[in-house]
Amino acid sequence: MRFMMLMIPKGYESAAPGTMPEDEKALSAMMRYNEQLQQAGVLLALDGLHPPSMGARVSFPGGKPVVRDGPFAEAKEVLGGYWLIQVKSREEAIEWAKRCPAGPNEMIEVRQVQEVQDWPEHLQPALEGFVEMGAASRPT
Amino acid sequence: MKFMVMVKATKDSEAGKLPDEKLLTDMGKYNEQLVNAGIMKAGEGLHPSSKGARVRFSGSQRKVIDGPFAETKELVAGFWIWETKSLQEAIDWVKKCPNPMPGEDSEIEIRQIFSPEDFGEAFTPELREQEQRLRAKSEKKG
Repeated sequence: MRFMMLMIPKGYESAAPGTMPEDEKALSAMMRYNEQLQQAGVLLALDGLHPPSMGARVSFPGGKPVVRDGPFAEAKEVLGGYWLIQVKSREEAIEWAKRCPAGPNEMIEVRQVQEVQDWPEHLQPALEGFVEMGAASRPT
Repeated sequence: MKFMVMVKATKDSEAGKLPDEKLLTDMGKYNEQLVNAGIMKAGEGLHPSSKGARVRFSGSQRKVIDGPFAETKELVAGFWIWETKSLQEAIDWVKKCPNPMPGEDSEIEIRQIFSPEDFGEAFTPELREQEQRLRAKSEKKG
């Protein structure tokens, strides 16, 4: 089973453009954790995100796209980064999240990734293409 | 520049309602355009938050809260990883996306991904090397 561990740092919703993690100690601790994930063979991908003030939101009222630049006043929780992991169970995913050297202002949301076999059979053929596209676009 | 493009959740997606065949076909075509343009690096859909959990941190304490989570509009229903030349190019591509949640108000959030160069001096040569090793291995696996 694949899971996303979504890092949600409180306060990041209003961080200024260009805000970076500055604490070298925290950064090293996080890198050690990343290496543990990898050595255990569970890590598939990971990324950190610049603050929402450098991003945009597109909504589709009446089907037409409307673009708003960040920061987003209504945002209470925003993503700071994620890990994509491959584990045997939801419990194992939660165990890994608990081991993260996260701070008291941070929270990790654990969410299961949809696999083709999770979908009803009649929709699976339409999804096979997605899997191939995903595989084709991944770096080798 | 790499971007994470997130489709935000709606009542329907949180209820586990699946897209119909038409939307899947349209989305398939759109994904194909992204791949052909060399933009799409990854893309996944997530199960509703009712199947998920949250972990809160306080000192050595870890508190696990089972889903679902109330802030539907803040939740992620699916995402892509794209590589484009600018934020504007990513925005232009999002505008071409078939409405991911027909019949409901939906939103897509575009966020730039950190690259090692963004970290400056805090990202020491040791950390940089560690990071490269990490990526080389996990990308092979993914």
